Amino acid sequence: MVGRVRNPLSRRIPRLLRSEFGKYLAVFLFLVGTIGFISGFLVADVSMTKAYQESFEKYNIEDGNFELSKEAGAGLLAALELSELSVYENNYVEEASVNQSTLRIYANRKKVDLVCLMSGALPQRADEIAVDRMYARNNGIAVGETIPVGERQMVVTGLVALSDYSALFSQNTDMMFDAIKFGVAVTTKEGFEAFGDTHLHYSYSWKYNQKPENTAQAKRMGDRFLESLVTHVYLQGFLGRLLGSGMEIRNFVPEYTNQAIHFTGDDMSSDKVMMEVLLYVMIAILAFVFAITISNTISMEARTIGTLRASGYRRGELLKHYLTLPLLVTLIGALVGNILGYTLLKEVCVGLYYNSYSLTNYVTIWNAEAFWKTTLIPVAIMALINFAVLIHRLQLSPLQFLRSDLSKKRHRRAVRLPNIPFFSRFRIRVLLQNRYTYLMVFIGVLFANLLLMFSLVFPAMLGIYEEEILGNMIAGEQYILKEQAETSNPQAEKYGIYSLETLENNYGTKDGVTVYGIQRDSAYVKIDTSREGVYVSEGLLEKYNLRVGDTVTLKENYTDKTYDFQIAGSYHYPAALAVFMDFDRFRTVFDLEKEAFSGYFSNEKLTDLKESDILSVIDAEDLTKLSRQLEVSMGEMMKLVTVFAVLMFVLLIYLLAKIILEKNASSISMAKILGFSDGEIGALYLHSTTGVVMVSILASLPLTYLVLQWIFREMILRMMAGWFTFTVKPELFVQIALIGALSYSVIGWLLYRRIRRIPMEEALKNIE
Amino acid sequence: MFLEVNHVTKAYGQGDSRVEVLRDVELGIEKGEICVLLGPSGSGKSTLLNIIGGIDHADQGYISINGEKTVQMNEKRLTEYRRRHLGYVFQFYNLIPNLTVKENIEVGAYLGEPRRGRVYASAEDRRALDVEEIMHTLGLYEHRHKIPSQLSGGQQQRTAIGRALVKNPDILLCDEPTGALDYATSKEILKLIEEVNQKYGNTVVMVTHNDAIKDMADRVIKLRDGRVRSNRVNTQKIQAGDLEW
Repeated sequence: MVGRVRNPLSRRIPRLLRSEFGKYLAVFLFLVGTIGFISGFLVADVSMTKAYQESFEKYNIEDGNFELSKEAGAGLLAALELSELSVYENNYVEEASVNQSTLRIYANRKKVDLVCLMSGALPQRADEIAVDRMYARNNGIAVGETIPVGERQMVVTGLVALSDYSALFSQNTDMMFDAIKFGVAVTTKEGFEAFGDTHLHYSYSWKYNQKPENTAQAKRMGDRFLESLVTHVYLQGFLGRLLGSGMEIRNFVPEYTNQAIHFTGDDMSSDKVMMEVLLYVMIAILAFVFAITISNTISMEARTIGTLRASGYRRGELLKHYLTLPLLVTLIGALVGNILGYTLLKEVCVGLYYNSYSLTNYVTIWNAEAFWKTTLIPVAIMALINFAVLIHRLQLSPLQFLRSDLSKKRHRRAVRLPNIPFFSRFRIRVLLQNRYTYLMVFIGVLFANLLLMFSLVFPAMLGIYEEEILGNMIAGEQYILKEQAETSNPQAEKYGIYSLETLENNYGTKDGVTVYGIQRDSAYVKIDTSREGVYVSEGLLEKYNLRVGDTVTLKENYTDKTYDFQIAGSYHYPAALAVFMDFDRFRTVFDLEKEAFSGYFSNEKLTDLKESDILSVIDAEDLTKLSRQLEVSMGEMMKLVTVFAVLMFVLLIYLLAKIILEKNASSISMAKILGFSDGEIGALYLHSTTGVVMVSILASLPLTYLVLQWIFREMILRMMAGWFTFTVKPELFVQIALIGALSYSVIGWLLYRRIRRIPMEEALKNIE
Repeated sequence: MFLEVNHVTKAYGQGDSRVEVLRDVELGIEKGEICVLLGPSGSGKSTLLNIIGGIDHADQGYISINGEKTVQMNEKRLTEYRRRHLGYVFQFYNLIPNLTVKENIEVGAYLGEPRRGRVYASAEDRRALDVEEIMHTLGLYEHRHKIPSQLSGGQQQRTAIGRALVKNPDILLCDEPTGALDYATSKEILKLIEEVNQKYGNTVVMVTHNDAIKDMADRVIKLRDGRVRSNRVNTQKIQAGDLEW
């Protein structure tokens, strides 16, 4: 038997690599960076998601919680437990702490919602406390430090993660959690009792005896339990009212709707999808860059290809030859990227999650999914795109290759150009000759600008959002009272507040809506209360596609009772989804007594109100928690994305523009022989590219805006409660255009240097 | 006849721009012959060579090589046919720029290798000639590590001939092989073609517009306006080295 000789064409591969080492190195490094980061991200994501999912079992996370206005007696708890679940007391107090933050403190849990100790030790004495790791980090609290907690001073013995607070939402209706101004903590039973009952919340958690199989079943079980709870609490309340003290449900949060538990999991899975899409789009763009490079090589080597085909080389052999290098570069890039991802970059990505969420401990899982998603799929995308382009290019007959007649069209005619100056005509010819490359330039610029705008618009938007909220607050202080109490402050204005929720939207989510009863001629809310109907915040209109004149249907939180409100107008209130209506009508709609009110709007502190009468005070800090938290969670990440976008822009445009120069190397060389200066040649060959890049930058801006607007809308509809208007200041467009122009100036300089280096012999070599 | 061209007609273009390049061309070439196709520009000689080589198709008529008709072959079979039977040499060498002389010749040698998956009983089944030997024959041995840009035109053409010859084709098709070369180098290349023809017994079909080259051929076919004007066996054949023009 005779051994096979390797195809000698394969010896070209290392030489091709060497001859364009810079290009391949740049693409390789870019691939390693992208794949490394995304592979690290996927490993971290999968590991942490697993730890997160296992935490439900490991830490016995509740199936829901509710809060009552008074302590539930043993009778009520026993009555509730008769059905299919167990109820556990899970009371908490909320106290002011460092940096004007609020700490929600629990007695250390023994049965449900167990606590994971991340560092230090759990408290042993009444003056000791263990605080949430994230909150501690954001507020610079270290183990061993003494911190103020309400009126007490407590020693921080450890940093913990509470399994039911992986995202630090203080209220389930909040648009975003707040790990800066809100934290959770545990103390000893004695330490907890020492807080007294001034800020005590009667909170209870429940666990089903039989775990629900899915969300639908959990919903049915939750609805059933709510019905039972409402009935029992109503009875207790009725009896209580007879005895002079009522009881009501303050809060009811089944586990599957609890943002503090689920937001982290949902975010991690959506992050994963986003990262994967980003990777595949990137790989597809690079694949097209390779495809154009190969296409160009085929044009330059047409006669050689023709000779090889005429000599009997099969199309498949040539296809394999031209496909090898891009696939090798991608494969090696993916492998190196994966190694980096699994080692160094995984820690960076874990850090990103730990910077945002109060996750419990995790164990790294070396999973095959991350490997094939960041290795096999990129290689497959690269292979598929290049294969398609190569098949198309190699379809020509050997004779067409020999004649360098690479167009499939039989009668190619030059496009007629108007009688314009020579330089302009020349540039138009360059444009026409390289139209596919320029199309890729446009797609590359579009994608880079999308990333750039995403990374720049996000922090800017948070700033605008904060400004908007602070500029449109109803009042400096918004008091919500537990019991009706009078103030002597003349500028305080009574209002009514009632919590409703929307019906489920198309994505299966619903939002809490605050309904305000506003006094006639209010000094704080400027609406025409004489008009029929209600005023609706712009966010509610936008999120639910409502218009003035429509009817909005809202429902009670814990019952099926619904309310239809005709929309008389919109109200600019960016802080929340809200409905504003005449106070008297408010009282009638919600069946309240004639003089009933919920609190005060005031621009001054109401010092004459007793603290025990105040349920909460909404101030600027509360309203800006979304922007504050997102800034902390995403700020660093956005800077990384900006750098990545600029690098991608430079790399892509440089590679594509270089292809155009290589394609015309012979003509450029001939132009030099004819006596054109480097500057003139630059004007001929570079100005077309410059024009295309600039037009691409400008044209991609509105497109990018529309795409991002759509992405934001979808993201908020699917993931977030409340509304966040997508706003881009005009200056940002200018900033993006300038970044593009500046980046291109670097590319332009590199390209000009390349033109200068093309020797005159280049033209003489190709005398045929 | 080893190679038969039967009533081949070929036209390019349509309507007013239609040009008949070959008109009912009929000829035959014996195995091992050197056949020179002569004719002025536009006479159809290169088109005929391309049709013989299976890289262009006749509108009518057919080519038969050793009884095998190329007209019945699909694209895939034509490729296999070229791979097994034909070697090409063009006026402009068309070498692979970043392969050395030796490697460029090996590109041809690879085509003479058995196909993947096919088991060959012995080394005799290998068609390819020895690359080293070919380089010696063509006087390229000392240049074997050079890349095409380091070679003269003659050396490049010798490499191209080596690439075509090394797979030991039944027919060597040469399209103006001396068209881009000076007098001395041209003679050198022609001597080489003659030498390999004698040494390996390949049939050589050579297109040229240089009338003097006809004297080294066994058969001379003259074309004009797409028709065969003469087809004669050259009884007064002289050595390529003695050619003058």
